Amino acid sequence: MAANFWTSSHYKQLMDQEDVDVVQPLDRDKGITLEDFKFIKMQMASYISKLAQHVKVRQRVVATAVTYMRRFFVRKSMTEYDPHLVAPTCLYLASKAEESTVQARLLVFYIKKIYSDEKYRYEVKDILEMEMKILEALNYYLVVFHPYRSLVQFLQDAGMNDINMTHLSWGLVNDTYKMDLILVHPPHLIALACIYIASVYRDKDTTAWFEELRVDMNVVKNISMEILDFYENQRMVTEERINAAFSKLALKP
Amino acid sequence: MAIAAPGQLNLNEAPTWGSRSVDCFEKLEQIGEGTYGQVYMAREIKTGEIVALKKIRMDNEREGFPITAIREIKILKKLHHENVIKLKEIVTSPGPEKDEQGRPDGNKYKGGIYMVFEYMDHDLTGLADRPGMRFSVAQIKCYMRQLLTGLHYCHVNQVLHRDIKGSNLLIDNEGNLKLADFGLARSFSNDHNANLTNRVITLWYRPPELLLGTTKYGPAVDMWSVGCIFAELLHGKPIFPGKDEPEQLNKIFELCGAPDEVIWPGVTKMPWYNNFKPTRPMKRRVREVFRHFDRHALELLEKMLTLDPAQRISAKDALDAEYFWTDPLPCDPKSLPKYESSHEFQTKKKRQQQRQHEENAKRQKLQHPQQHARLPPIQQSGQAHAQVRPGPNPPVHASQPPIAAGPNHHYAKPRGPAGGPGRYPPSGTTGGYNHPSRGAQGGGGGGGGGYGTGPYPPQGRGPPYGSNAMPGAGPRGAGGSGYGVGAPNYPRGGPYGSSGGSGANRGSNMMSGNRNQQYGWQQ
Repeated sequence: MAANFWTSSHYKQLMDQEDVDVVQPLDRDKGITLEDFKFIKMQMASYISKLAQHVKVRQRVVATAVTYMRRFFVRKSMTEYDPHLVAPTCLYLASKAEESTVQARLLVFYIKKIYSDEKYRYEVKDILEMEMKILEALNYYLVVFHPYRSLVQFLQDAGMNDINMTHLSWGLVNDTYKMDLILVHPPHLIALACIYIASVYRDKDTTAWFEELRVDMNVVKNISMEILDFYENQRMVTEERINAAFSKLALKP
Repeated sequence: MAIAAPGQLNLNEAPTWGSRSVDCFEKLEQIGEGTYGQVYMAREIKTGEIVALKKIRMDNEREGFPITAIREIKILKKLHHENVIKLKEIVTSPGPEKDEQGRPDGNKYKGGIYMVFEYMDHDLTGLADRPGMRFSVAQIKCYMRQLLTGLHYCHVNQVLHRDIKGSNLLIDNEGNLKLADFGLARSFSNDHNANLTNRVITLWYRPPELLLGTTKYGPAVDMWSVGCIFAELLHGKPIFPGKDEPEQLNKIFELCGAPDEVIWPGVTKMPWYNNFKPTRPMKRRVREVFRHFDRHALELLEKMLTLDPAQRISAKDALDAEYFWTDPLPCDPKSLPKYESSHEFQTKKKRQQQRQHEENAKRQKLQHPQQHARLPPIQQSGQAHAQVRPGPNPPVHASQPPIAAGPNHHYAKPRGPAGGPGRYPPSGTTGGYNHPSRGAQGGGGGGGGGYGTGPYPPQGRGPPYGSNAMPGAGPRGAGGSGYGVGAPNYPRGGPYGSSGGSGANRGSNMMSGNRNQQYGWQQ
């Protein structure tokens, strides 16, 4: 049967980290490093979240939109496709794909509200045109699986579905969308990594429960390490650093 | 971009991602047309494979890529089953499209996206409506089993089809039946808590719970439609040909009895129960009306046409019904006869021509007043398909000389609406999947040559459904082909609105909540 993760296009499209971490030649020519690339994607993920709060869509829509955006930039350069247009368009498309349609003009209204800067303002027609390019770049694969559903099930199974643990691990999952994990790892393993971190943080002994799961704990731990590294690095990132990445992108060749 | 830049074509290789150009295909002919898109029969240049290309129209300026197309693509990309139509790929039109005035269009996608499907020769309605066509019992079982198998697969994968009807069941010449047109389909969760629109499913096949306004429903809605099709196959004509919603419910109650809290707990709480509640007591008459059906068929039909959706049989249980396991057993699809291609649109058009022919004949006082109705199957078991070929309309391999391929003058008056009452009223959006001049298979006369002079009995111009066949009415009328021409925006002409009012609903918001406009029978 299809329609489960293992037979889905999502599973088949999982990529190796080194294939995700490729700066497109056009972007590289502008001096954009892998670090810049990651910063920009992270910044766009939070832009998507911010817009989503305004238009009031579920986290699932945000997660799908961020996934689209990250998949898109594996294939397309930021020089040719302005992230400030791609990001809201991904939200627009995700809202349709996740049955929570947001009108394009509403999105445009909030874009203008968030950005006073002229150059980030886009109109409805820009979004509709970009929508087609995104659909094509995604090869019309629109179904994305997320860690949230398995997270809830796992927590319940482990008897850790108290508000405290749920809240913490859910927040961790949200933060994983600031990274490319969703392109590289199966969602249930991302969920487990978040539970692992949360349980260590809250001093809960989950060793026995994890052992019974028969998942590759090395993978779970590696994902956990990636997440922790990310938090660690985050603390050092200044606004100037991020702005520097965007100004490289803005350079005229 | 991996696709060709404007002006260039990349005919040869498929990019590893992104979409190919529609120029990889040679359009052979338009086989369906609607206000909302066209379906073409086409040949892939590289492989010679015949496919169906369904164009997704991008004429809604305000909300971009239609959500109905997104739903259909999402769903078709996750369903892989021998009884579900296969979406092979999506292709785009390269280079700037020209608009109506011939100016290059700045947006290369506008009007230039096609879904590529495997090609199917028939749809069930088109096949059943062929003059003289009579299915054998084993053949009906074979189609029903495939329909239920495909639907079971959809339901297991949490997809509701929501437009099960004969013209959406495509049949190839190997006897395979596939569900098509997922333009109204959507995913559901098992708890049935989501609010879904009740304005789905073509009226004649729409279950009572939707007609009573429920917005929480599940797979049972599709099973009602299956029951309607099953009865139709056995009975020879549609069983609930309502012209509007109240009449539809009334027809259902007349056959299935008026519901009450005993047989359908909760029915009196349904949103529109008070508007439509039966004015007089009505008994269930399914067994009486269909007493000529065989016992197992009747038993299964009773379970499908159960008013209370909670008690209606599921696809899985239906597949276990005695009906499929008693003699005559469902036949092997491959053993079925091959027919020259027919889709509802095509049969409809033939009928139109027939009508026209008779108009002429009438003037010459030569009319043969003979009504066309489908022949019910032969109920005896035993000689499984021997009787499948009785009619004057022979299968492809019959001995009639093939008609030369090429432009088919019999279709000289093709897609324009022709006036006149009839079961298949003309509509602005004839959606069918029609091949007027399928030269390669042009045998059998059905390709168009035969009418009037051929061996076909004149078909009645009268509506086979009695007084219901008013102009423009009748869900069959506008014939959505299985490839779902109407899908993106869905308002096909005739049945869902005023016929001939094509375009009335164009560009309407495509969000699901607004679909009801498109079914505006009473508006």
